Amino acid sequence: MIEILSASALATVQDLGRLGALRWGVGTSGAMDPLALAAGNLLLGNDVDAAAVEVPVFPFQVRFTEDGAFALTGADCAARLDDVPLLPWWVGEARAGQVLTLGLPRAGAWRASRAYLCLPGGIDVPAVLGSRSTQLRGDFGGHEGRTLRQGDVLRAGAAESGAPVGGFGLVPPALVLPLQVDGVPAMRVLPAAEYAHYTEASRAAFWAGEWKITSQSDRYGYRLAGTPLEAGANVEMRSHGIVPGVIQVPPGGQPIVQMRDAQPSGGYPKLGTVIEADLWRLGQAPIGSRVRFIETTWDEAISALDQMQAWLANVQRLVALYRRQQARS
Amino acid sequence: MRIDSLQQLSTWLDDAGIGLLELRGPGVLLRLGRDAADAAAVGERGAAVPHQERGAQSRGVAVNAPSAGVFLHSHPMQSSPLAPVGTQVRAGAPIGLLQIGALLLPVCAPRAAVVTGLRVPHGTVVGYGTPLVDLDPD
Amino acid sequence: MSTHEPTISVLGTSALLFEAPGHAMTLPDQQRIWALAQEAGRWPEVREAVPGMNNLMLSFARAPLALADLRARLLAAWDAAQPLPLEGRVIELPVVYGGEGGPHLADVVAHTGLSIDQIVEIHSAPAYPVYALGSHPGYCYLGGMDARIATPRRKVPVLSIPGGAVSIGGAQTGVSASAGPSGWNTIGSTAMRFFDPTREPPALLQPGDTLRFRVQKVIR
Repeated sequence: MIEILSASALATVQDLGRLGALRWGVGTSGAMDPLALAAGNLLLGNDVDAAAVEVPVFPFQVRFTEDGAFALTGADCAARLDDVPLLPWWVGEARAGQVLTLGLPRAGAWRASRAYLCLPGGIDVPAVLGSRSTQLRGDFGGHEGRTLRQGDVLRAGAAESGAPVGGFGLVPPALVLPLQVDGVPAMRVLPAAEYAHYTEASRAAFWAGEWKITSQSDRYGYRLAGTPLEAGANVEMRSHGIVPGVIQVPPGGQPIVQMRDAQPSGGYPKLGTVIEADLWRLGQAPIGSRVRFIETTWDEAISALDQMQAWLANVQRLVALYRRQQARS
Repeated sequence: MRIDSLQQLSTWLDDAGIGLLELRGPGVLLRLGRDAADAAAVGERGAAVPHQERGAQSRGVAVNAPSAGVFLHSHPMQSSPLAPVGTQVRAGAPIGLLQIGALLLPVCAPRAAVVTGLRVPHGTVVGYGTPLVDLDPD
Repeated sequence: MSTHEPTISVLGTSALLFEAPGHAMTLPDQQRIWALAQEAGRWPEVREAVPGMNNLMLSFARAPLALADLRARLLAAWDAAQPLPLEGRVIELPVVYGGEGGPHLADVVAHTGLSIDQIVEIHSAPAYPVYALGSHPGYCYLGGMDARIATPRRKVPVLSIPGGAVSIGGAQTGVSASAGPSGWNTIGSTAMRFFDPTREPPALLQPGDTLRFRVQKVIR
């Protein structure tokens, strides 16, 4: 059980997303970095989909009100338990009364912007429409349908998971599955229906350019700054379903990438969609950083999805082996 | 050693890309390898240190690898070593990491101490029992 | 986009988008979309078949290896789709047009050249069929808006308009079910609960229902 000590941290309870409710206008929500959330759960022996706390703003502090294990993944935020430094992507034990502090994310080998705090059995909040993710527009799901506040208490779903003494951790996927172009983090994109409507110069600029993630970026969408993109004709479109990763270009010419809390439908022209396998990379790209886009094919995108799922399956297997072995010794 | 432990070890070695594991215990020597040619080369680095061997100072303690793996001085996300020579470490603090495939296992200080030596370079493949870090306990 | 053939495109590996031919949003085509949704919703690779305005998004449970096969199946299903004549309830909403709740009424006047009274009369005349739900929980996309009051989406979306906001976006109209950003032109406001996550189903309206706007007041 943890008590939130920080104010205005924009932290929310998320799992892997609310699926199957698009028919009612309910988007998926869920973790901006689903791999980090899943890995944190696996370190604790949870289901991959258990709810966790997503922390986008730092510093962030919680107090453990009971003894228990916890896992911390995502950004390396110089975490401390009281005054003891913690390793990133690690599972450990806390005692009642100890304070967990997450500091500003460090640059290091991977520049990330969100951390995930997982508890045994997941964060115990009611499932709404099949998920524990927070639906901010509409105020339901997660913890009371809102961002966490000072004084909120979150329970763990299970009594104890028994982390091995000394803890253990994982090599983050960013280091195992790197993707960069000219030293800049990159995401693969599949062209969308209106791709051909954009001028050839604009299309070339989209692939060749570095796109800055502006400060008007959040869970709803990332507003990018770069070469203004021009459509050949300004087509007023019929509202249609969209998914996280869809890159829309409003009349100003500056692309917006729809993210986890985006509306599940829209009517702006679409240039392309960041593939599902790379959404976590974008979800972790910090405000002010630059990203590149790589044109990909359907087959390559499916292969990337397989690769991501294989990483997760491998982690699941190794962690289960290690936890079993440690439990026996 | 039980058969299921052997299978577990084999899986771990495979995942870590380790070609040879050598284990010593009282009256027991176990070698698990994929290629017999590896045996001679690893013999020097992979051998367990007999308990009676010590560093120059008789108070010194060698922390040995709790498993086969790749010994790391620093976390892959970070550049600064966890416990450079001269660092004061608490009991239980990680002074290095063992990477086995996707996993990172801690190499912990058995008690509060000062680090006096790092026996193997960052990134070395080590066997179970390889001396990794020398400590001068408080 | 061809005006004679449907358009099929991908939304990453997460979903497939099927668009009926043309630019219009007709009720018969929407009824065929409903039929197509019913059929495609049963396919093993599809998690949800989500109707839009004369279009359909298939969100994948598992992205298929053979996309060409799915495209062919979808086109065949569209050809075979008979209009599904869903008929639900008629719900009437009292609307206060203009004033603080309708901050963009003046923009619609400027774009269309019509007066406030004309716009209100044209907007409140039809019975609007609910084509689809989307955008945010409980929000209904309505068909049947008179083209005379069509006004393009705003160049710069507004950061937040409240629930109950009655808006025009392009050739469509709709009512916000909760506060949030919008690129549409808000011409009035109404009070109505469109979504309750504890109910089964959670949305109060569904495709096939009909919405009417009743003029409660006009603030000039």
